[in-house]
Amino acid sequence: MTTLFAIALTLAAYLGTRKLYLRYKHPLLNVVALSAAIIIAVLVAARIPYSDYAPAKDIMTALLGPATVGLAVPLYRHRGLLRRFGAAILGSVALGALLAMLSAGLMARLGGLPQDVVMSILPKGVTIPFAVEIARIYNGIPALTAAFVVATGTLGSLIGGWLLTLVGVHNPVARGLALGTVSHGQGTATALMEGEQQGAMAGLAMILAGIFTAGFAPLAVWIVGLAG
Amino acid sequence: MKQTLQALGQLALLWAIYWASNWFVAAAGLPVPGNVVGVIVLFTLLCLDVIKLKYVELATDFLLKHLVFFFVPIAVGLMEWGQVFHDYGLTLLVAIVASAVLPLLAVGFVSQALYRKQD
Repeated sequence: MTTLFAIALTLAAYLGTRKLYLRYKHPLLNVVALSAAIIIAVLVAARIPYSDYAPAKDIMTALLGPATVGLAVPLYRHRGLLRRFGAAILGSVALGALLAMLSAGLMARLGGLPQDVVMSILPKGVTIPFAVEIARIYNGIPALTAAFVVATGTLGSLIGGWLLTLVGVHNPVARGLALGTVSHGQGTATALMEGEQQGAMAGLAMILAGIFTAGFAPLAVWIVGLAG
Repeated sequence: MKQTLQALGQLALLWAIYWASNWFVAAAGLPVPGNVVGVIVLFTLLCLDVIKLKYVELATDFLLKHLVFFFVPIAVGLMEWGQVFHDYGLTLLVAIVASAVLPLLAVGFVSQALYRKQD
């Protein structure tokens, strides 16, 4: 019974906040953050502990794996761009993915955060399904990783475009790549609002950043480990 | 009806790739998530024309449109971790801001320079 209620509540929160976002398209109207806030508020008010929500979570995320594999489709659809701008795309996204992990991990480590929190923040630059699985390999906490991912995505969508203009990055390909690498799906949505080319590049960068982050994670974990 | 059945068949195919990728990662003992390998496998099969776009796109387009839905229940798990933000909020904030701004500028500058070279 609780499980059915939890699923209905989650669906309602998702559909409601999605409608709100599609209407105003503001980065602060983040569907994941708003939905989770609503659901947590209702659970707390109804005195339902998280352990009673967890079975519903397992049912609802059963399709996340196959859905994530489907990210190969946009990658394939944009293979023409990959061929044309191959070096610019792969080189810069690889650099960005490594830098994001190292800067987040080192600052967290030097700031004295516990090990499981450090491992949770390390992959926060990439889309949630990749980030959560990477964090899991190093004993991070999936829910914390999800929160860091959303925070990074929101920040990138809010100030990313402005910051790039400020420092003189005007090229649409470069802007798309930067937004997609650093703030995944949320950055891609922002890039799409700038233009189609920016959006396509951001979508590509988001998926490639996930792959590079997964590949570089052992190296980043090792370097962060050296920092004490 | 026919479309729904088709989409379910496509979902089964995606599932098979996901499952096989997870099995491979576990069997080989690789420190890489199965879903990342799954994306690379499907992309390769599409490029080699082993799998045609129309065999999967009905399912992937629907799932990707609502990909964010799957993130919501994961984020609800935060319910149990509020204390972390209370204890380490400022450090987390600094780490997140710095690690977003630094790569943003790096990717922007480097790709703009590489793009000019390439064209």
